[in-house]
Amino acid sequence: MKTTSVSAVAPIVTSNRRQFISRLTAWSAGLLAAPPIFQAFPQSLNAATAEPILSVGKGTDYEALLVKVFEPLGGIAPFVKKGARVVIKPNMSWDRKPELAANTHPLLVKAMARLCLQAGASKVMVFDRTCQDMRLCYASCGTPAAIESLNDPRVACTFVDDRKFVPVKIKKGKGIAEWEFYKDAVTADCYINMPIAKDHKLARLTLGLKNIMGILGGKRNALHPGTGDQSLNQKIADFNTVLTPTITVMDATRILLRNGPSGGKQDDVKELHTVFASADTVATDAYASTLFGLKPDELETTKAGFAMGLGQMDLNKVKVVKV
Amino acid sequence: MNFRLPHIPWKWWRRAAQLLCLFIFLWLFRKTESDGGPTIAFGANILFRLDPLVAASAVLAGVKLIAALWPALVTVALTLVLGRFFCGWICPLGTLLDITNHALPEKAAPPDRRWRVVKFFLLGLVLTSAVLGCQLIGYFDPFSILVRGMAIALDPWLNRAVTAPFTLIYQQAPESVSDITEAIYAFLKTRLLPFQQNSFAFSIVSFALLAAVFALELVERRFWCRNLCPTGALLGILSRFSLLRRFPARACGRCKAETDYTVRCRMGAFNERGLLQPESCNLCLDCLDDCPIDLPKFTFDKPKTAPAPFEPSRRLFLGSVVTGMALPLVSGAVHAARGLPADLIRPPGALPEPEFLDLCVRCGECMKVCTTNALQPVLLEAGLDGAFSPKFVGRIGYCEYNCTLCAQVCPTGAIALLPLSVKQKFIMGKAVFDKKLCIPFVKNESCITCEEHCPLPEKAIRFRDVELIHPVTKQRVIAKRPYIVWSLCTGCGICETKCPTEVKSAVHMFREEAIPAAVRNDAEIMDMVSQPAPPSSEPKPRANSDGY
Repeated sequence: MKTTSVSAVAPIVTSNRRQFISRLTAWSAGLLAAPPIFQAFPQSLNAATAEPILSVGKGTDYEALLVKVFEPLGGIAPFVKKGARVVIKPNMSWDRKPELAANTHPLLVKAMARLCLQAGASKVMVFDRTCQDMRLCYASCGTPAAIESLNDPRVACTFVDDRKFVPVKIKKGKGIAEWEFYKDAVTADCYINMPIAKDHKLARLTLGLKNIMGILGGKRNALHPGTGDQSLNQKIADFNTVLTPTITVMDATRILLRNGPSGGKQDDVKELHTVFASADTVATDAYASTLFGLKPDELETTKAGFAMGLGQMDLNKVKVVKV
Repeated sequence: MNFRLPHIPWKWWRRAAQLLCLFIFLWLFRKTESDGGPTIAFGANILFRLDPLVAASAVLAGVKLIAALWPALVTVALTLVLGRFFCGWICPLGTLLDITNHALPEKAAPPDRRWRVVKFFLLGLVLTSAVLGCQLIGYFDPFSILVRGMAIALDPWLNRAVTAPFTLIYQQAPESVSDITEAIYAFLKTRLLPFQQNSFAFSIVSFALLAAVFALELVERRFWCRNLCPTGALLGILSRFSLLRRFPARACGRCKAETDYTVRCRMGAFNERGLLQPESCNLCLDCLDDCPIDLPKFTFDKPKTAPAPFEPSRRLFLGSVVTGMALPLVSGAVHAARGLPADLIRPPGALPEPEFLDLCVRCGECMKVCTTNALQPVLLEAGLDGAFSPKFVGRIGYCEYNCTLCAQVCPTGAIALLPLSVKQKFIMGKAVFDKKLCIPFVKNESCITCEEHCPLPEKAIRFRDVELIHPVTKQRVIAKRPYIVWSLCTGCGICETKCPTEVKSAVHMFREEAIPAAVRNDAEIMDMVSQPAPPSSEPKPRANSDGY
């Protein structure tokens, strides 16, 4: 009895080797532990519907245009609930000025953020994992400055923090079983996908489905090579099963016809002053390919997304509303 | 009523100046980092521009006047008026050593004066070598040692040490805890820590040099400044002619008896006979505050007696000159044996090789400021005198198309500041593919990562669509096999950085002149390995270089 009371008072002093090792293990467990596997929600934020609505608008006042594009979709309210934590994911990948059509137009992102704030979002986060130096890309693309000008503490365009990439099991994945996703993106109540339509040598075009690359961690370039189920196009569709956007707003105010996705030449840019949106990302991608003179089924990514049940690629079955 | 201002001791004025200068230096150091904009408004390079040793050795080695170094003339002029005040009032390294000394026990023994002349020896050696085109300043200049040690060792290490516990808590602890720690971390991240985690090759070497300077504080107070600092030696020589003089020019009998000033003086400026060595006094003014009878004064009056004799002998200077002449021969050994490595690439805008090494003062600022961590210190592959100069490592990082920051912070113009449109076409090197590693060649699968990242609007990497049989599925596939457009490639290295192959990239940067003619061909996809090596084409051979 006496010995137990002594060890209770001064456990360190009387610890034997076994106790010491178990204590050491307990203490060091935290240091050795890997980040836990993150459980993404099993159902997507927005299930595919039979006849999705796709709203297309044209105009040079991009902020007004975006508001107009949302009208046939029922406005912003069905997508952004009061108090929601919203993520807006534009493309800010390249150290290029807005006119070179490598990044989503800053005014469009700003208009989107404003709509979310008006809908009563508690927090609006804007970010993208860039392909070049983050500071240069963010400064050149103009989005952080545009977001700053909203002057609202609920919204911020922040740098991606490497520590926030969490491993996620891709349960429905055909080509890939696990990858790191950005925690803020997968835990958001509402994920707004804001790609820009661009040429891409491997995916043919980079559109809404491929925009998910910007919330992936790890060595993304290693995703490029592969054939069949291992192809980039299938893996992109797989990633979209983890996080299906609440809504995809496609920036086609200007599109990049050649030398994408980074471009750099004004000759390769075509101004269309067009924006379209749909809760169905596959439908937006299918529509976007027509802007490049392509049929939706000429894009392997769109086909893979359709095959995975992520949306409708047959434009005859999409209700296209021009505003 | 008689109202008097309180008397503020001189040492408080000096300490205030020291802390202010240290704070400015640390602030500038932190500001020597990209904020996404095209320019850096403030840079720690002002320290190097104030350093007359940097100016002297760069001007002597480069055999040209460098306009950007004009602040060194201000230092010289002020030293001719005030003496070696720079060391006592301004130098951030001196201030850090003073702070370190506060934490150490007081020294009782009188200083060993034999060390005193080493700094003059080093000064002679550095300048003589510089005249002969061998720049050794990186080993001895106080600011090179300080800034480089901080930039490539302490700063990345500090970032890692501070970040790691926050990351652990963020990943493992409940949100109620991590919300608080993350708020603290966000504050530190914006105010104190560098933007990103960098890492530099052989940072331990630069750290060891800096650590040694601080460790010597255990031996003697301001050991570095008293005995080793060549910049201090240069300022010391100038201060023998300075107008401001201490009176009396010796420790009085009372001081010698009660408080042995040979021990107490911060710089050990009084020699064994009690005479003040003007080249040692750094005007800390402790003696003004400490004297019980208010005897000493610093005045501009003409001194009545000649100053104490100059400590270093003529023989010492002769020795330093001879050593300084011998070192360039030694440092040429690597060049003679192997030439410059074919993939030793300098920053964009760097002057041609011998001239670049003459002007580079190894301050490490270009490495600190490089947004992608691509600039790394050379160890010995560019010769003994090439140590700590920057080299471009494409596997680690690449040269940002719209960035000229390394040239902006270079204090001597070793990296010429070119207009952005000129820099974007500056040939640092050329990319060469290795077909044995490149995925479209090995696996017959398209990859396009290199082309996608190529920042040139015309694309210096293009493809040839080749119809092939896939090695695994045995199906017909079209593989996009890349090639370099020789005339466009600038060697920015982004293809090498981003190449998804494991460990070694399938594309590597080489110096243009080191690439065999057969590989310099747009139409053909060649790899370096199968080609005979060209003779070394170093523009100005320092020693016999017969190929590598």
